[in-house]
Amino acid sequence: MNKIKIVNDLIDNLKLDDSIEVTFQEKNEITYVNGIKIKVIEDTNLEIEYIANKETKMNIQIEVLKKVKLHLLEYRHGSKVKIQYKYDLGEDSLVVINKFSQNNGVKELDIVNLNGRGATFNYKFKTIANKQEQYDLMIYHNDSYTTSNILNHGLNDQEGSIIINITSMIPENKIGCVANQNNRIINLSDNKCEINPNLLIEENDVEANHSAHIGRFSNDEMFYLQSRGFPKEVALKLLIKGFLLSELDINDEQKSLLTHSIDSYWR
Amino acid sequence: MHILKIEHLTVSVNDKLILNDFSLEIKSGEIHAIMGPNGTGKSTLSKVIMGDPTYKIINGSIYYDDVLLNDLTTDERARLGIFLGMQMPLELEGVTNADFLRTALHIKEGTNFKLFNFIKKLDNTIEKLHMHKDIVHRVVNKDFSGGERKKNEILQMYLLEPNMVILDEIDSGLDVDSLKIVGDTVMEYYHQEKLGILLITHYQRLLDYIKPDFVHIMINGKIVKSGDSSLVSKIEESGYNQLINENN
Repeated sequence: MNKIKIVNDLIDNLKLDDSIEVTFQEKNEITYVNGIKIKVIEDTNLEIEYIANKETKMNIQIEVLKKVKLHLLEYRHGSKVKIQYKYDLGEDSLVVINKFSQNNGVKELDIVNLNGRGATFNYKFKTIANKQEQYDLMIYHNDSYTTSNILNHGLNDQEGSIIINITSMIPENKIGCVANQNNRIINLSDNKCEINPNLLIEENDVEANHSAHIGRFSNDEMFYLQSRGFPKEVALKLLIKGFLLSELDINDEQKSLLTHSIDSYWR
Repeated sequence: MHILKIEHLTVSVNDKLILNDFSLEIKSGEIHAIMGPNGTGKSTLSKVIMGDPTYKIINGSIYYDDVLLNDLTTDERARLGIFLGMQMPLELEGVTNADFLRTALHIKEGTNFKLFNFIKKLDNTIEKLHMHKDIVHRVVNKDFSGGERKKNEILQMYLLEPNMVILDEIDSGLDVDSLKIVGDTVMEYYHQEKLGILLITHYQRLLDYIKPDFVHIMINGKIVKSGDSSLVSKIEESGYNQLINENN
């Protein structure tokens, strides 16, 4: 397993094989922000742990070459981050991302370029928000038969407020594309949350779906758990854990890491 | 000996009267069946006993032994030993059966909880109910067939070891073979624990396996006729309306 550990806006530790090349790009007069460029040459798995000990800005660029598969787990936690991700996918490449965030505030821009015919981007993102978090996702289907499956699940708590703006674009003549969006926020606070899903499609031969839901856990779910003897707080915690860990394609070790993180938050 | 005593219970939801001066007493060792047409308040009764906050008790009392349940929360009622097997068990996103059952047992048994005993009992009960072993690792009720959902309710009952059980249309969604398995498993638990059971059902077929001592017909939120198990055959032969008219 390839691993990259980022602390604030610097690479702290790298453990890589030949399937990945990583370049650190120091901030300059044009970017003002440190960046990391990750080039994926062969099929591989990658784990990124991103720790923010202070308010941090960072750019991360991931390029996946033609016919290459990348499975990425990103676990991000700590202080507020302002971060930009840019993904460039070549022909028939596959990128599977499972991402978990637990920061004290986030402003994030994700730009996904499906540049090669047949490229697929499967993205599952979970966050616990106790401060303001804004996510702007732009998915460009730049070639035919490209696929994007995007899942954003946020748990909003305390002083949190989550805004998700997501736009999938399929231009004219890019046929056979699939664009799916699944956005859901469980709001445990009284603060306002927003989901703005957009599908900008200029071609008829496409498959596109979006769902957006903001709400709380249902009374029926709580009743079911309480009818088995779970006190209200325990029932809520079990539902929270289920919501945050469901759908993620992660192994037992990674699940245990995220479970520990969730448990620490609600201790 | 435990007694569930419902006295003159009147319940509404959204200003609509669902239970109307309903009374019933169930003792350990007794099996009661409530039958009646759709929309007559049978499922509401089960949820009100369990403390579903959707329903408002306007009048009357529910006692379990000497404890007044009216003001207890659902989980407090469950921890007294009352179990409701639901008509439509819910999917719990991301919560596996293993996590669900282990946590429930932890709460019930506290420091007496023994993981080895839990696993052993879980395996035995899964086998008893002819369920697939992977059910433990699946998300609670997600992509379960109707039969699997109902068997899963009985699995929970067996592990939680309640002393008063309410089964709300536990027969719906079960094929003939599964119905026999569920019926036999409930009866095995009944003989083992000598507990009180309240069955809510539309059909006689469940009562071929779980033999009630008392059968009640419920119409418009109250019991209009009670009898022994022979009443079931009369309902099958004549329907509810004729029996009620005879009664009037």
